[in-house]
Amino acid sequence: MNAATYIVKNALRNKRRALLSVLSVAASLFLFVMLLVALREMTVPPEDIGSSLRIIARNKVSLAQPLPLKQLAIIEKIPGVEAVTPFSFYGGAYKGEEKFTSFAQFAVDPLRFTAVGVDAKIDPAELQAWFADRTTCIVGVDTAKRYGLKIGDRMRFTGQIYPVDLDLKIAGIYRGTMDDRNVFFHHKYLDEALGDPGTVGTWWLRAASPEEAPRVVERINRAFANTAAEVRAETERAFQLSFVSMWGNIKILIGSICSVVVFTLLLVTVSTMSMAIRERFRELAVLKALGFRRELFAFILAESFALAMTGALLGAGGAWWLFHSLDIPKVTNGIFVSFEVTPRHMGLAFGIAALLGIISAIGPAITVARTSVVQGLRTLD
Amino acid sequence: MALPLKYNFANVIVRWRATLATVLGIALTVAVFVLVQALAEGIKKSSAATGDPRNVLVVRKGSTAESSSLVSREQLRTFQYYDEIARNERSEPVISADIIVLANLPRRDGKGEANVLFRGITARGVELRPQVNLVPGLDAQGNALASRWFTPGRREIVVSARLAKRFAHFRIGGSFKSGPATFHVVGWLDGGGSAYDSECWIDADEARSIFDRDMYSSFLIRPRDEASRSNLIARIEGDKRFQLRAESETEYYKKQTLTAKPIQWLGSFLAVAMSIGAVFAAMNTMYAAVGARTREVGTLRVLGFRRRTVLVSFLIEGALLAFIGGLIGCAISLPMNGYTTGTISMETFSETVFAFSITPALLTKGLVFAVLVGIVGTFLPAVRASRLPVIAALKSL
Repeated sequence: MNAATYIVKNALRNKRRALLSVLSVAASLFLFVMLLVALREMTVPPEDIGSSLRIIARNKVSLAQPLPLKQLAIIEKIPGVEAVTPFSFYGGAYKGEEKFTSFAQFAVDPLRFTAVGVDAKIDPAELQAWFADRTTCIVGVDTAKRYGLKIGDRMRFTGQIYPVDLDLKIAGIYRGTMDDRNVFFHHKYLDEALGDPGTVGTWWLRAASPEEAPRVVERINRAFANTAAEVRAETERAFQLSFVSMWGNIKILIGSICSVVVFTLLLVTVSTMSMAIRERFRELAVLKALGFRRELFAFILAESFALAMTGALLGAGGAWWLFHSLDIPKVTNGIFVSFEVTPRHMGLAFGIAALLGIISAIGPAITVARTSVVQGLRTLD
Repeated sequence: MALPLKYNFANVIVRWRATLATVLGIALTVAVFVLVQALAEGIKKSSAATGDPRNVLVVRKGSTAESSSLVSREQLRTFQYYDEIARNERSEPVISADIIVLANLPRRDGKGEANVLFRGITARGVELRPQVNLVPGLDAQGNALASRWFTPGRREIVVSARLAKRFAHFRIGGSFKSGPATFHVVGWLDGGGSAYDSECWIDADEARSIFDRDMYSSFLIRPRDEASRSNLIARIEGDKRFQLRAESETEYYKKQTLTAKPIQWLGSFLAVAMSIGAVFAAMNTMYAAVGARTREVGTLRVLGFRRRTVLVSFLIEGALLAFIGGLIGCAISLPMNGYTTGTISMETFSETVFAFSITPALLTKGLVFAVLVGIVGTFLPAVRASRLPVIAALKSL
């Protein structure tokens, strides 16, 4: 019998306890990974190359404040601006979904829009059909799938932000963007319904190159400084990140829950390990009498380490597997889109498990080291 | 015959070293459950505490929040002459046309920006909301200063005292730019734990000109009495020209639960997930307890205690253990009661501040939950204890 089999045999001599310890570590690490992923999804929006190239210009007061349409002519002339489109969040409730609609609808200028958002893949014929009819829209493939929509279907919306209801015909279905859920339709159609108020929600533009983007941002901000409608332009990335600050203390809350989970985990594992060691005080004393000293600590450490790691494999690995194989947008009703478990999350989970294994070995190891052989042999249970 | 409870008490205490981790594990699970639910409770409480039952709030049909509602000046002019509306001592109709503007402002800690809700109110706006009062504020140096209401036309603003702790330039005497105007803070308001604690008030018509808005957002009306209130609601809702929704102000705010829902959901989810871990831990402890007390159980059986009695006794012990854990959990969470925190409101899309609200009902729920975890975790070990063969149990070391 070598040392490894000895450790494995020891860890499994009370199979029920080993299983329960592994499961409690697994359950907690599963939760831990899940919280981290949720927190990341809330605070770090998905990123692609386009998001550093595209710029969003909103009213400096806040996103809810509209911008005058006449700004378009000025923005177009700003050097470094490749393309620009009005981009207004319509925020309608999809027919039958009074409380919460899981996808956004944006009013855009279709021709200009295709020049800004180049990632979207769509059949050219469908695109032409969209251009041609101002009562039509294009729908992301995720939303189309979710509601079983096809080309030619109608979508009815109740205006929650704008005081008009819209009835849109689907001209095409696109895919290939970061978020294939949104609906895009003609800004002109919205304007007509509203009686041409001469305003837009935001401007969405594309800079000539990522290097040029910060300078374009600067130029736009300067162009409208001290006008009636001052503009705050930022890259799409910065814009998305600006929402993070709005979550306020919720971030801290989830962060602290993560630490509580880890701490609880620690308690449970430590107590299990000390239970396991107390049970075999006598034989540890025998081993001590035979001359084993440092090896005893190695045995204890290896055992608790192995238990914790198995838990991590099950919990964090299980989370990774589950979130990869589940259709997250469907399960969470569109609240979470990617729910991606990153290598960092896995690293953290396994790091915690390793630490757990080591910390929970320390207590029992000290007791064993302190106990004299005679004392150990005398122990009954 | 049942085993005395004292037996279980003594056991839990004697074996404290082994049970401590389980008790603390359950305590932390309960604490997380109670705290997250207290958060949701706080949000609900703040909207439920908002408004005066005598008032009627009028918004656009279809809008989900006041901030996305639009009502016109013509409508204001029409409503002013409705005789259902109460009149004050100067015989002016008690109606306020409000305008809601969201302003993106920097946080006090310098970490980013968030939307703040500005409410523009007309002359009657303050008397319609008796729960909102001015409170002494602080200036930039931290000296206490008296508050006063804004003077229309002078770009003055009264900010919520609770928001003042969270946003930059909100001290009295401070000023900040939003749109083409520079606002001067002249007072702090206290909404008495209502949704008004998440607002800043300015003059409505000044706000309309600064933020270039033609329309108001909502009307708040005080009807003469009960009867004229229902008449007024029927009259406004029934008029097809308006396309407006009228309802009691308190009812309107009570329905604002969009922000609390996901937090409540998170709380329940966390409780379930953490309790799975806690059940495993409780099982471990109780199996160990049964193992260590094999002889004791044998002795009890010889003395004539029945299998069922032993089973119940162990279950009680598990429940007791968990109950102690639950009590500790509640005790851990209690100091957070009343602590003010904030997040984005899903209704207004602006910063909403509220206090953790730990209610007796919530604590009871936490304790029941803990006991359930204890019983579930103890069940299998207890069954094992009750099935121990008497002779073998007595022989074991």
